[in-house]
Amino acid sequence: MMKTDVTVIGGGPAGLAAALKAAEKADVMLLERNKELGGILPQCIHDGFGNFIFKKMLTGPEYAQHYIDKIKKSNIKVKTETTVLEIDTNKNIIATNSIDGIMEIQAESIILAMGCRERTRSQILVPGTRPAGIYTAGTAQRLINIDGVMPGEKIVILGSGDVGLIMARRFTLEGAKVEGVYEIMPRPSGLTRNVVQCLDDYGIPLHLSHTVTSIKGKKRVEGVTVTKVDESMKPVKETEMFIPCDCLILAVGLIPENELSKQINIIMDERTKGATVNERMETSVPGIFACGNVVHVYDLVDDVTITAEIAGKNAAQYVKEKPETTEEIQVVAGDNIGYVVPQIINNRDLDSVTLYFRVQREKKDASIVVLDGKKQVFEKKERIVKPPEMIKITLSKKTLTALTKNELRIDVRCRK
Amino acid sequence: MNDKGIRKNIEKIILKKKFENVAVKVENKVVYLTGKVNSYDAFLDLGLRIGKKKNVEGVVNNLEYPNKERKEKKKGSASKIGKADVVIVGGGVIGSSIARELSKYKLRVILVEKASDVACGTTKANNAMVHTGIGENMGTLKQKLCVKGQQMFEKISDELNVPYKQNGMWIITTKDSLAKMKLPSFISDFIAKRIIPMIVLRRGKKLGITMNLTKRRELLKREPNITKKVLAGIYSPTYGITCPYLFTIALAENAMENGVEVMLNTEVVDIVTKESKVESVVTTKGIIDANFVINAAGLYTDEIAGMAGAREYTIHPKKGATLIFDKKANEYINHSMSMLRFPRTKHYKGGGAMTTIDGNIQWGPTISETPDKEDTTVTTEDIEKMFESYSPLLEDFPEKLVITYFSGLRACTFTEDFIIKSSKKIKGFVHAAGIQSPGLTAAPAIAEMTISLLKNEGLKLEAKNNFDPYNKKKIVTRDLSNEEKKKLIEKNPQYGEIVCRCEQVTKGEVVDAIHSKIPALSIDAIKRRTRAGMGRCQGGFCLPNIVKILAQETDIPIEKILKNEGGSDLFIGRAKCLLEDKYDEN
Repeated sequence: MMKTDVTVIGGGPAGLAAALKAAEKADVMLLERNKELGGILPQCIHDGFGNFIFKKMLTGPEYAQHYIDKIKKSNIKVKTETTVLEIDTNKNIIATNSIDGIMEIQAESIILAMGCRERTRSQILVPGTRPAGIYTAGTAQRLINIDGVMPGEKIVILGSGDVGLIMARRFTLEGAKVEGVYEIMPRPSGLTRNVVQCLDDYGIPLHLSHTVTSIKGKKRVEGVTVTKVDESMKPVKETEMFIPCDCLILAVGLIPENELSKQINIIMDERTKGATVNERMETSVPGIFACGNVVHVYDLVDDVTITAEIAGKNAAQYVKEKPETTEEIQVVAGDNIGYVVPQIINNRDLDSVTLYFRVQREKKDASIVVLDGKKQVFEKKERIVKPPEMIKITLSKKTLTALTKNELRIDVRCRK
Repeated sequence: MNDKGIRKNIEKIILKKKFENVAVKVENKVVYLTGKVNSYDAFLDLGLRIGKKKNVEGVVNNLEYPNKERKEKKKGSASKIGKADVVIVGGGVIGSSIARELSKYKLRVILVEKASDVACGTTKANNAMVHTGIGENMGTLKQKLCVKGQQMFEKISDELNVPYKQNGMWIITTKDSLAKMKLPSFISDFIAKRIIPMIVLRRGKKLGITMNLTKRRELLKREPNITKKVLAGIYSPTYGITCPYLFTIALAENAMENGVEVMLNTEVVDIVTKESKVESVVTTKGIIDANFVINAAGLYTDEIAGMAGAREYTIHPKKGATLIFDKKANEYINHSMSMLRFPRTKHYKGGGAMTTIDGNIQWGPTISETPDKEDTTVTTEDIEKMFESYSPLLEDFPEKLVITYFSGLRACTFTEDFIIKSSKKIKGFVHAAGIQSPGLTAAPAIAEMTISLLKNEGLKLEAKNNFDPYNKKKIVTRDLSNEEKKKLIEKNPQYGEIVCRCEQVTKGEVVDAIHSKIPALSIDAIKRRTRAGMGRCQGGFCLPNIVKILAQETDIPIEKILKNEGGSDLFIGRAKCLLEDKYDEN
């Protein structure tokens, strides 16, 4: 039986930042199932990371290395190629690797930072055969950038999630031909900057309101049928078109990977598919924290790092002194809001609280308002709000201390 | 009835149904059709009508229809492989069962399989049920062998150390069971609640199958998520579940342990006969001299029989699609359940929401005809049909948790029963054909029957005294306790390293599969043996890991690794390979 103050599960950007922050005040063990630390970052060889924290554009590996170097200098116990099999509410962890075998770890506090996984072809029920040449965008990215193999040369991409957009550019730079990106929604699901930099700049067509309705090929992909969809997202048969290709890439969404969280019956948020957390990034089980994409899928790694540090700091604090829950303010997703994280505020006595959320529909000249009961306590104007772009607002100490109700509601309204 | 009488009856059908360009010949109660029809549907229609006739033992349907696919004849290799006592064509569950059964005798047996692994055709895509035989028509060979096979299944599974569980099944009737008959509801409810269960129970009694009638209230207590429209349930406790590919691999490996030679990637291209006796089998790898051939080629049994001049049936594939759900959906049912619907249509063969040995729930299978023996597409209609058929069974089932779907093809004949018999035309040629459900269950019984046929054909059977029926248990770390895992990892650290996180498969298990008796040399072959890639991420995370291990453990370069068969390359080359080409052109 090993003992630590804080055990962090997952060595991606969230786990790294959380472990470092927690290590300022506590003994920390970091468990990572891959060989290398950094999670998905080592395969993200494009730039665009760290603009917020480092005020410059870093590549994924550079961003990760900054934290990995710090981890190496710290006294955090790192175990890679280590998979957690079980956790329980008493914060016992069972993990396995080839060196220690089956490990039992007793922690005072656990930080869940397992990240997310990609949705697959089956989850969106794409009909057809099952040949070689169908990959999710993240897997294709790993295959090219880490393992050094090419998944195909004539590519169709289904879904316009950020990884898919980045892979459209990556395939093009590798000499492959990207026939097009097909998105079932009437709007792109990735960030605007990625649509511009990865598709527009390379002349790759983006077909909105289109989906793949069949995959053809016995051994390898021989082509796909793409079809336009109507307003209710039903394919319009007359618009079917066959596109010869040898590779179909899927960028149809990410799902927080919460299989472990479900072992201990943490309260989940149906909308985020992640745990419900409070302002300390603590889940419904005291002493178990969560951060990064396992909570909800972020747009920017910088925000992952910032919230992970909150989790790390509070996990270490929890080891020293278990905070008393004095109150419970529910943060409610109001008009035109998909979800808000954190979902709960347990302690208002803070310098500030940042709320992250996404809108459901695109709106120009929007006004984001926060209501304490019926009283408006915050307003922020935005020229445009879109579902793919996460919004964050920070409530000041002054606002927080003035709150009177146990429900805080966020609405996005139109100013005109 | 003699051949002449059969022919007269059939000519009547042809006349009545206005098939103009069709000629009939009947020989040994086998009907041969030649000529032309104007569609595949007409080809099926006539074949099935004739197949249903009494006394017809086989229908060879050589009718032409538009867009009928022509196959190019493959060339064999002239090199001599040697002499075998028996050649088995096909490494599915039937061929492998027969191989193991034959390995009990002092014989040289060669099993040839065109794919790179056993269990690659119909076997791998069925729904893994070990049936009781209640669903089959009385008096058919299917039913007889199913009942017998089921009784043999547990012992064989134990010997081979493969999972088998009698998890039971609910046969239910609901308010929708007779919906198509448009009867007043009090009548249809009465039939569904009282009459149908009575008939089923009586039939079970006749066959010696244990079954208990369960009242609606009790059923809802035991299966709280079942539809509230349910009227009655019959519990069949002996219904079993297996893993069709693990079972088949184990059969083939045990046969090999006992001396059978298994030749993979070997396709039969001709069967040479002399004076209506089998002489040799010509394959893509060379010629095997043999006087006895067992045709267990599944979908291709008719073509293999044709090579020997023993075509006594035609196969028309029927596709079955299956949906697999995430293990998270498990709690929704405790046992498999199948809903009875009347009348049975050609598109609904039963099926249902089934439990599997691995703990996933599956829906299916569907049934539909296809002219293409390789058509394993799952169409939009298949998916819609599955949701339409099985969704009403369970209330609030988490349908979004689909993790994969696939289709398999049943090797059906027009007479719809198994054809296990010696050819009446060619001596030494034995058919194990027309194997559709419950072929997996019946496999052990089919193997026994085939051996007795060989004996009747004149094969001398002398039992070995060193036949070893047992396979060693393969290591599956996810099934072990933490203490057992600890000990195992101390001995071999590779069992501590998880490479497939969804199914918790370790590197050790993958390495074992690669170096097993029948080596797993493709991603799918490893997947079938270890479950790596069968979980909720469907290989998104583990594929790169498995690829790397396979390249390390064999001499296959990473960019040449296959998903399954030749041509299914996962990659087109190393990164930058497309850029090199471009520089070359400049």
